[in-house]
Amino acid sequence: MEIKVKYRGKEQVLRFDKEKVTASDILKALGLSSEHAFVAKNGEIASEDEIISPEDSIKVVNAISGG
Amino acid sequence: MRYQEVKKTEMGKLKKGSRCTICKAKGGKEKAVVFLPHHRLALCRDHYIQWFEKRVEKTIKEFRMFSKKDRILVAVSGGKDSLTLWNVLTKLGYEADGFYIDLGIDQYSEDSKNLSLRFSERIGRPLHIISLKDEIAPIPVIDKSTNKPACSACGTAKRYYMNRYAKQLGYNIIATGHNLDDEVAVLFGNTLHWDIKYLKKQYPVLREEGGFIRKVKPLCKITEKESAMYAFFNDIEYIEYECPFSEGASSIEYKEILSKIEEKHPGTKLQFYTNFLKNMYPIIKEHYEKESQINICKICGEPSFSDICGMCRLKKAVEKSGVHN
Repeated sequence: MEIKVKYRGKEQVLRFDKEKVTASDILKALGLSSEHAFVAKNGEIASEDEIISPEDSIKVVNAISGG
Repeated sequence: MRYQEVKKTEMGKLKKGSRCTICKAKGGKEKAVVFLPHHRLALCRDHYIQWFEKRVEKTIKEFRMFSKKDRILVAVSGGKDSLTLWNVLTKLGYEADGFYIDLGIDQYSEDSKNLSLRFSERIGRPLHIISLKDEIAPIPVIDKSTNKPACSACGTAKRYYMNRYAKQLGYNIIATGHNLDDEVAVLFGNTLHWDIKYLKKQYPVLREEGGFIRKVKPLCKITEKESAMYAFFNDIEYIEYECPFSEGASSIEYKEILSKIEEKHPGTKLQFYTNFLKNMYPIIKEHYEKESQINICKICGEPSFSDICGMCRLKKAVEKSGVHN
């Protein structure tokens, strides 16, 4: 399954070998921890077990920053 | 009012269908969208915003940072923390304006300046802007002309111009958006090196003295993720990509290590920080307070811990190098 995500201002496509993809899978695919990142599905913060489908508008926010 | 804590079995992750702890206590059924493991709270959007703002206000009062009579200048970078801070202070009724330093880092500075300006218009508060190009040189030029790391030169410039312009513009408080993760990462680094010089300055309020004005960190008990979620819920647009000079910064590495510990033991970061403030800081402060004396810089007249301040030394180095803007 392919999921389009917006991350750090850029769009990218994530490919998964399974049909049931969760918000947690998206974070893992980007190498992020739920401790400092979250997924917004259709404008709302998604719980980690929430199912994501290719039609959803997905934004990933990584809160960690240097400085 | 005490709310029923989220059950231990629910610890760790927010499950789909969880209800807001506060709504539940009031007989409501609003869906929780945020889970705060170290506070054992699951909250809906509105109660999260309320919780966040109350927590910042409590921190301001706990450390006696400032009152409604003070004129506050917020150090605005265009990032989530500074814009969130500015939003919260304005909402809480404080007189807070913004101060943006254009660092001259190509697209990054251009984007963050525009986002800061847009936010200033949205909340109806002025944003003062200065440019490093006019004051000394843009960061990429400073980086090429000195052997100091860019982040260190950038920090020196920000501290110097914030203080100088705050005084000129008639503000008596400088507020920065440093969050709990920033403070914990710095504390972790300073502790690994037992760096007393920095540890003794690591308090959320640095009092005004000898030409330095009071500096405060009202988000010091807010995690980075909490700050990002507040920005998200309030539709605050901020710069989402990293400054090109901060790549590979050790603070990010420390944050990642600390996040792993936090995941297993929620509350560790907050405890590491607050217990330092409570138990360790007073001892360090008392023991080492008299060691540093504030002088006046012989060149610019601004306060400094040596005869010539860090900024004037930086200027000299840039002039000497011959690298041009």
